[in-house]
Amino acid sequence: MMGKHTKSFAGLLIMAVLLVCLAGSSLGAPSAAVVDQWEIPFLNCLTGPIASIGEYMAWSAHRAAYEINQKGGIKGKPVKIVDYDTGVSPEKAVEQMARIVNKSLVSLGPVPEACIMAAMPLAVRQGLFSMTASTTYEYSTQFFPWTLSWYPPTDKHLAPAAAAWAKEQPKMKKVIQFVEKWACWPSMADAHADGLASVGVETFTVEVPTDAVTFGPLVVRALAQKPDGFMFTCTSEKVAKIIIELEKYGWKDKSKILIFSSADDMPLYTTGRDSLNGCYIYAYFDGAKETPRWKTFKENYKKDHGGLDPTSLSTIYYDCVYMIKRAIEETDVTGDPKKLKAERIMIRDYIRNMQDFDGIQMAWSMKDGIPSDKGSFLFVIENGIKKCVTYVEAWK
Amino acid sequence: MSPVLYYFLSFTGINILMCWSLYLPYRVGQLHYLTVACMLASAYFSGFAAREWSWPFALIVVVGILIGILICLIPSFAIGDAPCFTVVIIGLTIIFILKTAVENSPALGGTIGFFGIPQVNHLLPLTYLLVVYAGAVIYRIDHSRLGRAASVVFVDKNTAAALGIDVKRLGMFFQVAAGALAGLAGTLYAFLIGGLFPEFFNLGVIGTLMCMLFAGGHTTMWGVIVSVPILEGMQLLLPSAIASWRQVIYALTLIVIVLVLPGGLVTKRMLLRLKGKVSGGISKCNN
Repeated sequence: MMGKHTKSFAGLLIMAVLLVCLAGSSLGAPSAAVVDQWEIPFLNCLTGPIASIGEYMAWSAHRAAYEINQKGGIKGKPVKIVDYDTGVSPEKAVEQMARIVNKSLVSLGPVPEACIMAAMPLAVRQGLFSMTASTTYEYSTQFFPWTLSWYPPTDKHLAPAAAAWAKEQPKMKKVIQFVEKWACWPSMADAHADGLASVGVETFTVEVPTDAVTFGPLVVRALAQKPDGFMFTCTSEKVAKIIIELEKYGWKDKSKILIFSSADDMPLYTTGRDSLNGCYIYAYFDGAKETPRWKTFKENYKKDHGGLDPTSLSTIYYDCVYMIKRAIEETDVTGDPKKLKAERIMIRDYIRNMQDFDGIQMAWSMKDGIPSDKGSFLFVIENGIKKCVTYVEAWK
Repeated sequence: MSPVLYYFLSFTGINILMCWSLYLPYRVGQLHYLTVACMLASAYFSGFAAREWSWPFALIVVVGILIGILICLIPSFAIGDAPCFTVVIIGLTIIFILKTAVENSPALGGTIGFFGIPQVNHLLPLTYLLVVYAGAVIYRIDHSRLGRAASVVFVDKNTAAALGIDVKRLGMFFQVAAGALAGLAGTLYAFLIGGLFPEFFNLGVIGTLMCMLFAGGHTTMWGVIVSVPILEGMQLLLPSAIASWRQVIYALTLIVIVLVLPGGLVTKRMLLRLKGKVSGGISKCNN
C-alpha cells in the first residue's frame, strides 16, 4: 500500500518539477515576435540643402539593419528601415510623422532641427518614441520622455573639448570665436567659451552671417583684436574659407585653430585642403580606431561613398538601430499592434536607461534619456586626415 | 480622424489662406511677399501670447490679424502703387529683418526655436470656418467695384488712373487685406505645429505658395482651392521615393502650366463659360 502511494507521489513530484521547469523556461525568455518584419521608419532629409548628411545617416541605419539581418534579425525576424523624406520642410516633416505616428513601434529622426521642431510635438502627443539623435541636448530635452539626447548637456561635453585644446596651447590667452547664428550653434559657442574660460582663456565673438560669401572683412575685424587663436562654430565650408583668408592675412600657427564637430563634413576638407594642416578639430568618433567592427563599417562606407571616410554624424543612426534591437530583444516587445502603446513605452524606457551599450565607437550608458559617460575626441588634421590627440571625457 | 488626414486638411486650409494673401495684391499686379513676414510675426506673437500670457484663442486670432494688417499697412504708404519688382524687394527685405529680429530675441527662442505652444481644441473646424469666412469676403471684394477696378489696374495703371481709379489707395487696400489673411494664417500655423523655428519662414515657402497660386490660376480666387489640395496631397499619396521629388514636381508642374495654360487650371474665362452653361441649362429647364 505504502509502495503504491510512494509511486504516485513520486510521479506527481516529477510532473510538478517538469511543469515548474517548463514554466520557468517560458518565464525567463522574452516574448516571441508576432510581426513578419520589424519596420523602423526614418524621418530624414534625403532631399534639399543638407541631403548629403541625410544620405550618410540613412546609409548607416541601413547598414546596421543589413548586419542585424545577416545574423538572424531581431527575435528571428528581419528588420527594415523605411525612409521618409522630410526635405528640410517643416510641413513635410509633420505630414510624414502623421503617416507613421499611429502605427510605428519606434522611429528614427526627424532630421534636421526645423523638422524636429515641427514634427516632434505630434510624436509626443501620440506617444511615439522617436530618436532625434542628430541634434543637441537643448532640442531633445524639449520632447522628453518621447526622445533621447544623444549627447550629454552641451556645456558638459563641448566645454571640456575646448578646454583640452587650450591646454595643448599653454601660451594662448585670447581667442576669437567665429559664430554663425543657426539653430543651437550659439549655445554651443557659449559652451566653448565656458571651456576656454575654465583654463583662463578669454573669448571674443565675431558673428558670421548665414548668407556671407566673402570673409575678408570678418578676418580683418578678428585680427584687429590681436588674438592668440581662433575657434569656429559655423558651417564647414565657411570654416574652410575663413581659414584660407586667415592664411592670406599672414596667420601661420594652425595649432591655434579649433574647429567644432558640426563642421567635420566633406566641404571642410574639399575646400580647405592643405590650409587645414595643423588645425585642431573635435568630433565624436575616431576614424583610425582599430576594432574589427569599425574597420568593416569604414570599409563598407568607403566602398559606397567613392573612397571617402565616414563623417562625424555617420555612425549615429547605426548605433540607434542597434539600441532598438537590444531594447526589443531584452523586453517583451512582440510587435503586436494590439499592444502598441505598452510596447512603445517598453522600448522608450529601456533605451532611455540602457546600460553599457556597445556602440560602434565607444560604450556608454543612458540615464533618463541622457548619456552619462560619453565624451569626444580631439584631433589634429594632417593632409586631410584626422589624427587623434586625446579622448576628452565629459564634465560630470 | 487619422493624423495624416488631419494635417493634410489643416495645411491645405492654411495654404489656401496664404495663397489668397498673394492672390489679392496680384489682382493689381503686385507680388506681395511681405505676407510671409506677416505670417512669421503673427505666428511668433500667437505662440508667445498663448504660452506666456495664456491669452484665449479668439483674442490671439484677432490680434494676429491686426499684426498682419499693421505690418502691411506701414510700407503700403510707400509701395501702394509701386512696380511689382519694388514690392518684391520690400517684401523679401522685411522677411529677413523679422527673421533676424526673431533669431536675436531670446524671449522668442532665438535661433533654437520656440517650443511648447499649447494645443487648441477643434482647430481644424475653426480653420475651415475662418477659411470660408475669408473666402466670402474675398468673393465680395472680387465682385465689387474694387475688384473690377483691380482688373483694370492689372491691365494698365494709366488707363485705370484715367478712369478715375486711385491706384495707390486701391493697392494699399489689397496689401492690407493680404496682411490680414497672412496674420490669420500665421496664428493658425503656430497652433497647428505647436513650435516655431525661424527657418520655417524662408524662400522655400514663397516658392511653394507661388507654385500653388500660379498652377491653380491667378485670375480667380477659386484656382487655389483646386491646386492647393492637389499639390499638398501629392506627397501623401505618392510613394515615399517619388514624394522626395516634390520640389522637382512642383517646378515642372509650374513650368508646364505656365506654358500650356498661362492662366492656370482655373481661369476667369473658364468660370464665366461655366456660369453661362449653368444659367443656360437652368433657363432651358424653366422654358
